Amino acid sequence: MWMAHSSSPYGVRRIALACFALLLVAIFLFPGQIQGLLQYLGGPVGYVVRIPLEAIASIDAGIADRWEQYVMLQGVREENQQLRKEIEWLRGQHSQLRESAASTERLTALLHFKEQALPTMIAAQVIGRDATNRYRTIILNKGEGDGITPDMGVVTPAGVVGRVVKTTWASSVVLLVTDPNNAIAGLIQRTRDEGIVEGTQEGLAQLKYIPLLSTLRDGDRVVTSGLVGDFPRGLMIGTITRIDKQEGALFQSAELKPEVEIGRVEEVLVIQTSYGQSIKTGVGADLSEKAAP
Amino acid sequence: MKFLFYLMLVVLLVPLQTTLLPHLSVWNIKPDLGLVTAALVGLFAGELEGLLVGLAIGWVLSLFSAGELWLSLLVNGGVGLLAGFLGRQVSQVTPVSLGVGILLVSLVSGLFAAITLKGFDMSQMWRMVESVVFPQACFDGVVGAGFYWLLSRRFGVRPLRTE
Repeated sequence: MWMAHSSSPYGVRRIALACFALLLVAIFLFPGQIQGLLQYLGGPVGYVVRIPLEAIASIDAGIADRWEQYVMLQGVREENQQLRKEIEWLRGQHSQLRESAASTERLTALLHFKEQALPTMIAAQVIGRDATNRYRTIILNKGEGDGITPDMGVVTPAGVVGRVVKTTWASSVVLLVTDPNNAIAGLIQRTRDEGIVEGTQEGLAQLKYIPLLSTLRDGDRVVTSGLVGDFPRGLMIGTITRIDKQEGALFQSAELKPEVEIGRVEEVLVIQTSYGQSIKTGVGADLSEKAAP
Repeated sequence: MKFLFYLMLVVLLVPLQTTLLPHLSVWNIKPDLGLVTAALVGLFAGELEGLLVGLAIGWVLSLFSAGELWLSLLVNGGVGLLAGFLGRQVSQVTPVSLGVGILLVSLVSGLFAAITLKGFDMSQMWRMVESVVFPQACFDGVVGAGFYWLLSRRFGVRPLRTE
C-alpha cells in the first residue's frame, strides 16, 4: 500500500493551493514572459525527451517495417514503395516543370531574368504526432540546434507538408497543411488566381478567397504563391476536387486533396532559406540529390 | 526515489502519447494520458504531488504539441490538484466515479480549447466538439477508470484519506 494515509493534509493543501494560485496569477499577469521562460527551459528538456522518443519511434518504425515486409507480400510491397517514391518525385518534377513553363511564357517577353537558386533545406525524420487530438501536427527529430526556427516551411518532394510552429533544441512541431489553424498563400497553376489554403475538419484542405470571375475547375492544381511566408513559389499543395460558389458571396472557395499523403509522411525537408537567399552557397544543389528517390 | 519515478513517468509519457498511442486510436481519437496520469497521481499521492506532476506533464507535453502552453499547464496541474482534494474528501472513489470526473474535466478543457481556437466559427467549433472533444472525453474517462481499477484492485494502491 502506497501512502494510504496522511495525518497533516492541511499544510500540504495550503501549499498546493498557494502554488496553483501563484501560477494562475503569473500566467494572467505576465503571459508572454512565462511562455518565453518555459519555452527557454523547455530547450534542454526537449533534448532529454528526444532520446526515448527517437528510440521508441525507431522501434515502432522497425516493427512496422518488419511486419509489412514479412507478413505482407514482400516483393510487391518493396516494388510498390519504390514506385510510390518515384511517382512522388515525378509529381514534384512535373509540378516544377509546369510552373517553369508558365513562368517562361510570361517572362520571355521581358527578357530580363532574375537568377534564382534552389532553397536550402534540412532533411528531418518524423518521430511522432501531436500529443493532443486538437491539432494535426507531426514532430521532427531536428530543432533549433540544427537551424530550424518557427514559421519555416516543410515539404517532401511531392509537395507542401506544413510549417514549423514550435521548436526545442532537438525537436520541432510542424502544423500540417490539413489543420484548420494553418494558412498558406496558394495559387491556381492554370488560372494564376491566388487564395489562402487552410485545413478542414475532415483532414483535407480548402482554397479560400478565390475571385468570383476565376475559371477554375476540378482537377486544377494549386501551388504555393511564394508571396507570403517561407514557401518559395511553385511548390505543389494539392488538386481541386470540389468548387464551392455561393449566391451573393464575394469569393468562391474550393476543396483540395493534398498532394502529400499526410498520414504516411516519414521524412521531410525543412526550407531554411527561400529562393534567392541561397545563391552561390552550393547547398541548394543538394536538394535535387535529396529529392531523388 | 519518488522523484526519479515521476521523472521517468513524465519523460516516458511523451513517446507513449505521441508515438505509440496513434496506433491505438479509435476513429483517429487517442486518450490524453497526461490528464489521466495527473488525476491518478493526485488521487494516490495527494494534491501537492498531483499539482506538481500535472504541471510537469502539461509543460513537457505542450513542447510536443501545437496547443497553448498555459492551457496545458492549467488543465493538467488543475486536474492533479482537484483529484488530490477529491481523493481526501470523497469516502469511496470508484472507477466509475473517477471515470465520470475525468470525462467532465476533459470535456470542459476541450470546450475551452475549442473556444480559444482562432478563426473558428460556430459550425466549425460544434463540429470539433462533436468529432474530437466529446469522443476524447469519453475515451479519457474510460482509460482513467480502467487504470484506477487496475491500480486499486490488482495492485492494492489506495487513495490518500484525511484522518
